[in-house]
Amino acid sequence: MTNHIETDSGAYLEVQNLVKYFGNDRAVDDISFSIPKGAFLTLLGPSGCGKTTTLMSIAGLHSIDAGRIRVGDVVYTSPAEGLFLPPEQRDIGMVFQSYAIWPHMTVAQNVAYPLEIRKVDRSEIDDRVASVLKLVGLTAEADKLATNLSGGQQQRASLARAIVAQPRLLLFDEPLSNLDLKLREQMRVELKRIQNEVGITSIYVTHDQSEALVMSDEIIVMSKGKIEQRGGPLEIYSRPVNEYVSNFIGVANLLKAKVAEANGGGQGVVEVTRDGQKIAVPCQIGPGIGAGDDAVLSVRPENVHAEREGDSSTDIEGEVTHAIFLGNHVDCRVKWGDFEWKVISHPRARLKAGEKVFLKFDPEHTLAVQP
Amino acid sequence: MTTETYASNAVERSRLNNRLRSMVTQENLITLIVALIVAGAVIVPLVVLFVSSFKVLDPLGWDTTWGFGNYVTMFTDRIIPKAFVNTLIISSGSTVLATFLGVSLAWINARTNCPGRDYLEPYNLIPFFLSPFVGAIAWHNLGEPQTGLLNNLARDLFGIEGAIINIDNIWGVIWVTGIFFAPLVYLFVVGSLRRMDPSLEDSARTTGAGLFRTTMTVTLPLVMPGILSGAIIVFVTSAGEFGVPFKLSAPYGWETLTTQIFSKAVGDDANYYLGAAMSMALGIITVFLIWVQQRYIAPRSFTTVTGKGFRPNVLDLGPWKWLAFGYNIFFIMVAVVLPIVCLIIVSLHPVWTGKIVLADITTVNYVKTLFWWRPEAISAATNGIINSLYLSFGGASIAMALALVISYMIHRTKGFGVRMLDFLSMVPIGFPGIVLAMGVLITYIQTPIYATLWILMLAYITRFFPYGQRNISSIMLAISEELDQSSRMAGASWFTTLRRITIPLLKPGLFAGWILLFIIFLRELSISIILFTTGTETLSVGVYYLTNFENEPLTAALSMAQTVMLLIAIYAFRRLAGREALTA
Repeated sequence: MTNHIETDSGAYLEVQNLVKYFGNDRAVDDISFSIPKGAFLTLLGPSGCGKTTTLMSIAGLHSIDAGRIRVGDVVYTSPAEGLFLPPEQRDIGMVFQSYAIWPHMTVAQNVAYPLEIRKVDRSEIDDRVASVLKLVGLTAEADKLATNLSGGQQQRASLARAIVAQPRLLLFDEPLSNLDLKLREQMRVELKRIQNEVGITSIYVTHDQSEALVMSDEIIVMSKGKIEQRGGPLEIYSRPVNEYVSNFIGVANLLKAKVAEANGGGQGVVEVTRDGQKIAVPCQIGPGIGAGDDAVLSVRPENVHAEREGDSSTDIEGEVTHAIFLGNHVDCRVKWGDFEWKVISHPRARLKAGEKVFLKFDPEHTLAVQP
Repeated sequence: MTTETYASNAVERSRLNNRLRSMVTQENLITLIVALIVAGAVIVPLVVLFVSSFKVLDPLGWDTTWGFGNYVTMFTDRIIPKAFVNTLIISSGSTVLATFLGVSLAWINARTNCPGRDYLEPYNLIPFFLSPFVGAIAWHNLGEPQTGLLNNLARDLFGIEGAIINIDNIWGVIWVTGIFFAPLVYLFVVGSLRRMDPSLEDSARTTGAGLFRTTMTVTLPLVMPGILSGAIIVFVTSAGEFGVPFKLSAPYGWETLTTQIFSKAVGDDANYYLGAAMSMALGIITVFLIWVQQRYIAPRSFTTVTGKGFRPNVLDLGPWKWLAFGYNIFFIMVAVVLPIVCLIIVSLHPVWTGKIVLADITTVNYVKTLFWWRPEAISAATNGIINSLYLSFGGASIAMALALVISYMIHRTKGFGVRMLDFLSMVPIGFPGIVLAMGVLITYIQTPIYATLWILMLAYITRFFPYGQRNISSIMLAISEELDQSSRMAGASWFTTLRRITIPLLKPGLFAGWILLFIIFLRELSISIILFTTGTETLSVGVYYLTNFENEPLTAALSMAQTVMLLIAIYAFRRLAGREALTA
């Protein structure tokens, strides 16, 4: 069992072949990843994809069925070796979805708690609580009862409590999902700033792709207990490896295609067919597919160019069904057989519903990915 | 042995050590210990009871043989089959009465503009906390044909010949049990009536259904699970009730299963094995009914309550509201005021003949029953007060500690044995106190705890800790598990988390549960009557002793002492738990 686990000794947090069952369901199905010290990693996916289960496994809030989790030189859990470090010995700070601010204590008491548990001197506790409350901007609220705080303030208090003891690792379980949109956008930036300042290695769980794109150094996209793709925000957005990731991150036109040519260097041509019109589209060929394979053509709406003039042998010829003016851009739908293209066009183009247009693609920003 | 296999053995050993070490945590250790204690306390007496019921005592009472003889006796005996029938009649009758009273009072209080309904509610609930045994004693003094206060007043004031009521029969038992258990139904129904989404009824009205039709086709069906739950609980509680039939019907020829079990547990006629068989018979009926209630009826009652705070539709009764008001006052009169006033009057007379004699008024009965340092004090009564205070303080504290750990395990840990524990803490609810006490008696009679307060404490806690557990569980379900988890993540151990986070958050529920158990233990009769010995009498046993061997005024005095203590506890309960804890 242990022999085929490869270890990455350079990594700070290392999760190897993690497996967790709930009854007969494999909530987490043999996943591995590692991150360097100080990094901010996001586990992104829809509910039930195993991201929270992975986080809870790292936290030690439940046991795991197989695999190994290590931080620095401490093995947190490894069922094969019979190792399970209880959560309180893992030295982790965690921010919960419900904030979990204890209602029977003041803000300062909440934040002081981890230090009291670590038997820090009273005077040092006071100093550190004061400085961390300043960092999160809650100095004025220190002596308020937690129940008198607003959602955003509770969020800050929860963060302060998580970082005050300078833990090895910081875990976030969808911390912004209970806030309203405006506050959420503001807190994203705030959270990232504070994490940068304290420099604690962080793992962040969310189902909100824009949150992931804004905050992370690295993103892991998960589905059904497995990792779909791992990479930086730009890479995940512009080079999704399969249909699932293209669909989950941002908006994409996804079309069944067949690879006609692939040069092995990542470029090639795919063919798409609708209503007898067969179009060859030069594009980037993603990993894992070659000539003759079924693929999915993935084009972001902003990378589709709709023009009145074109060539029906190389361009897709369709009809505009809606054109919705949104100020800085026009959101269009272009019907091509039974497929509807999402297209973002410039207001100056003045596209109107009912017009015939030709859709053109830039090979650099057109992608063929695994189905 | 090669070095390689030696090395792999060492790895294997350290892996085992690691595994053992990660299993031996504070959490697992305490969980295991508590699970074993609960399993022992709950299962052992019931198994012993079951096994003992197949032991048949020979006619001389020297030896036993195995067989079904006890169960045969139950059908062939001169008294037991009748006691069986009487139990069924009493339970059915009091269920009908309590359900009628409970539902109508709950409806008046929750959904009509009956005057003063906010003030009436706490008084409607008082009988729930008082002792039905004392209620029976009070009603005996109100409605006995010769010496009953009501009969004498009728004769003196209206010149009526004979008696207007006679409480000393099976109907009297139904009357007293019914009015004392009406609050049970009330509590089951009032919550869903109060929190029902008014749009459910409004939408029926908009389809053209009249008020009566809406009530019959929408409102009542929605609260039906609550009504049925309450009715089943009343049936089961009445079947296990000992004090009321003991006082009002057994002396006049209507024995019940509980009075028969009692006669087999103590006295010249004692036969534990026949008592065990009768307990089994009673227990099987009650367990079956409680199982039906828990499995099929209780889960459905959630569908009527949406959890949102609604302002329910309030019905304007017009001039009829004064009738509703009068009806509610009548209930409080017969269930609370009349019994207490009667007890006070009787307790102030040296002897009770049915007539108030102002010249005879005396406090001698209180001196004899309360002042333990006086030579004329009756030790069964004074012992009872002190012992009951010990049992109530100690028992409520231990039971709540146990309940806390069990609730924590059920709601916060996912380990094996949790479902088992959940089940075990349901079991005692299914068995009347007298049945469980019979099992405890047979199990521990040969051990040193017999004839001490500990055997009473053990039986009290075993029978009633589920009430405390439910009190805590309901709050634990309402507070997020993340509050505990974040403490563990902050570096606190399981025990520190319990001490600094969980318990402080549960404080209101712990207090409410503690006082509820304190009240239950302070008035407990049917367990105590089986397990007490001279020197370990409890308050209710003291009342039993006085009513059996002394006179009514002395009995009334001790009954009043108990009632006053209970009223103080109820007041504290309301102050601490608030209105919601009672009606939820």
